[in-house]
Amino acid sequence: MAKRSKPDSVEEKLRAHLETLAMQAVLAGDLDQSLHVLKLVESEAARAGHPRLAQEASSLLAQLSQAAASPGGSPSPWEFISEGVLRLQHALEEANQGSAVAPVGGPSSAPPEPQPSAGESQPLARDPELVRDFVVESREHLANIESSLLALEQDPANAESLHAAFRGFHTIKGLAGFLEFAAIQEVAHEVETLLDLARNQQLSVTPERIDAVLKAADYLKAAINQVDASLDGRPLESFADNRNLLWMLRMAAAASGEESQASAEAAQSGRAGPQVSGSSASAALAGSAENRAIKVDTEKLDHLVDMVGEMVIAQSMLRHDPDLALNRSPRLQRTLSLLSGITSDVQKTAMGLRMVTIGTLFRRMGRLVRDLARKTGKQVELVTAGEETELDRQIVEELADPIMHMLRNSIDHGIESPEERAAAGKDPCGRITLAAHHQSGQIVIQISDDGRGLNREKILQRGRERGLVPPGVTPSEAELYNLIFEPGFSTAERVTEVSGRGVGMDVVKKNIVRMRGKVEVASQTGQGTTFTLKLPLTLAIIDGLVVGVGAQRYIIPIYSVVEMLCPSRDSVTTAPEQGEMVLVRGSLLPVIRLNERFGVEARARHPSEGLLVVAEQEGKRFSVLVDEFIGKQEVVIKSLGPMFSHVRGIAGGAILGDGRVGLILDLEAIFAWKGEA
Amino acid sequence: MQTGTVELNPAAQTEKSDHRAGKYLAFQLGQEEFAIQVLKVREIMGVQEITAVPQTPHYVKGVINLRGKVIPVVDLRLKFGLPEAAYTQRTCIIVVQVTHGSGNMLMGIVVDGVSEVLTLTAADIEDTPDFGHGITVPYLLGMAKTKEGVKILLDIDQVLSTQEVHKLEAVLQKAES
Repeated sequence: MAKRSKPDSVEEKLRAHLETLAMQAVLAGDLDQSLHVLKLVESEAARAGHPRLAQEASSLLAQLSQAAASPGGSPSPWEFISEGVLRLQHALEEANQGSAVAPVGGPSSAPPEPQPSAGESQPLARDPELVRDFVVESREHLANIESSLLALEQDPANAESLHAAFRGFHTIKGLAGFLEFAAIQEVAHEVETLLDLARNQQLSVTPERIDAVLKAADYLKAAINQVDASLDGRPLESFADNRNLLWMLRMAAAASGEESQASAEAAQSGRAGPQVSGSSASAALAGSAENRAIKVDTEKLDHLVDMVGEMVIAQSMLRHDPDLALNRSPRLQRTLSLLSGITSDVQKTAMGLRMVTIGTLFRRMGRLVRDLARKTGKQVELVTAGEETELDRQIVEELADPIMHMLRNSIDHGIESPEERAAAGKDPCGRITLAAHHQSGQIVIQISDDGRGLNREKILQRGRERGLVPPGVTPSEAELYNLIFEPGFSTAERVTEVSGRGVGMDVVKKNIVRMRGKVEVASQTGQGTTFTLKLPLTLAIIDGLVVGVGAQRYIIPIYSVVEMLCPSRDSVTTAPEQGEMVLVRGSLLPVIRLNERFGVEARARHPSEGLLVVAEQEGKRFSVLVDEFIGKQEVVIKSLGPMFSHVRGIAGGAILGDGRVGLILDLEAIFAWKGEA
Repeated sequence: MQTGTVELNPAAQTEKSDHRAGKYLAFQLGQEEFAIQVLKVREIMGVQEITAVPQTPHYVKGVINLRGKVIPVVDLRLKFGLPEAAYTQRTCIIVVQVTHGSGNMLMGIVVDGVSEVLTLTAADIEDTPDFGHGITVPYLLGMAKTKEGVKILLDIDQVLSTQEVHKLEAVLQKAES
């Protein structure tokens, strides 16, 4: 079935040309060849008496030459071609209406879908619950498919990955068919056919075919996103036209004639693809892990955590109950301490439920690295380590963007081209390591490349140009590298599609800081750059210092506190129009009276009667005056909700040991707000 | 992952005819009796210690812990511009579910005391009297005539989302007369 029938009429020949073009466009293949084919289409259409087709072809050619004349700007020529091919196909169909050529057997020569698959009709009985399940399940399958495909690309003989990908598409096809998402079903079906051929060893696995299947996966992802969006009650928009894709898949499935050539190419370009180490093993591992897991709505989980928090409070109230304390019965005491042990176990377990492994995030990056390496023409190998490291689901989600930015940066700026690397005596294939581990209650994520390293001179020069480094000052290495996190800072000489506009690294830093984390850079010229992210394990819990101001109690996150001290009366001075200052070990710190900020009554009239909490923000230290230190407590951060979103200086609320709500202070905001108060 | 949208209760939908008929929770505030739709009420609790939040209007008393959730509390007396009163044994926090923006949120309202649950028919409910000058009071659903007197029906969503509710005075005077 894989043998292609010989084109026997002009229309057949034209159709074959268009198929070639469509495939080239989707694969972003050989531009010269495409132009050649397009010219053939133009001349043959004119000869065969299809003026409309010839006209479309020539206008597409004109568009392309125009695009070629202005390089850099505008979309790539492939976008023109893929749009143009669609118009050409329509023109050809119209031309065929008259001559009505009967389709000749063989999958690749089938006429374009007669009924447009875009513009889904909305079946009446589409149960939103089923659709929701479909979306969730399909997304899961697509994620697995992607990692299986990448593993397969690495090792084309890996039958397990091939089966896994096949099964994924097969399930999606079945579900989509049931829910009558025809476009999704068609694409999944074609992929299934292709993969089935590969399974039966009638086709070899080539990077081109993997590309085609990945494109199909992308299409399905987009379509499923649309379906998901429609769940909010909006009407389902029609899916993107899948005809090009279907053709391309059929071509890929049918092109067994070029088999020997393709596999030779594959052997040649074997190193070109990025390698995701151990991804086949981890994909298989993930598969088995998912079978043992169940899905729980996060709302239910949050509720459980809330209730456990309440239980802990109730338990502590019981423990400190004065009536019970009078009862000296050893049995009661034993039971109480048993209860407290169980309670803290339950609390730990409940908190642990929110933890997920970082492996899913790392696997997503495999695809990104592969695509970017292709785009930039570099050879990059991604090595991951510590996939099993657990952290809060929310952090994993928020980490995706920063890590993506950093990988992009590493591939675009860090890793050199294969020639450059070879000239420098390095392996032409660059290596990026993505590693995670736990360290003293934090998670540490390292992204390192073995590229050219940061260019200190250039950074310094840019820094001086932009006035970030005052003339005459020689910044330390760390200070210098920190400049790359400044907004709009870029040393890239040219802006590429991938990066270099100077946006990104500042966003990375902002995101990390928002998660109460830190970024550090280390770099060695010619050896590479390492970004180290340090993040809390969860955003949900912080260690807090409970302080009192008058009748109010506030929680200060411990990570923002440098020290606490009771100042002596004469260490405090009042500078005119500056406010109070306190002398701490030789440096003067401004004193912010929390009660004045928040308009509450304080007991301490003078700083020496209270307690100063010293904090640091961007290298500037300041102190906040409170009445007393009450204790240290681990608290679960709760949002105060939209009603209090405008309140400055408060980061949220938390339930204190006695069941009352305490407000969590945002010291940085309190400090920043100083000028306006 | 998103969960399904919460079903709007039928009483919250503003169809004309008699969407207002139904069960109401009546409570006192100063000299007046007010009532809100029972469907909006989640629970009633005694006054507990409220944590004040800075930079908020005076009628926002602060936040409380509702079984592990932090919810805001509004003093309805202050919201309506009535004189502040010390909290007593009778003072209650009614936890209501209100629509806020696109979602729902829980909020507590402090009232002087809860009196009863009323079942009102369409015949019991009158439109809000016309105050002239084109004044409309969006948070008033209407007036209910009961054996014990007139009760003012509040649209609690509107009450809590409206910044200024000083027009209540005019309503009260009208209700007296």
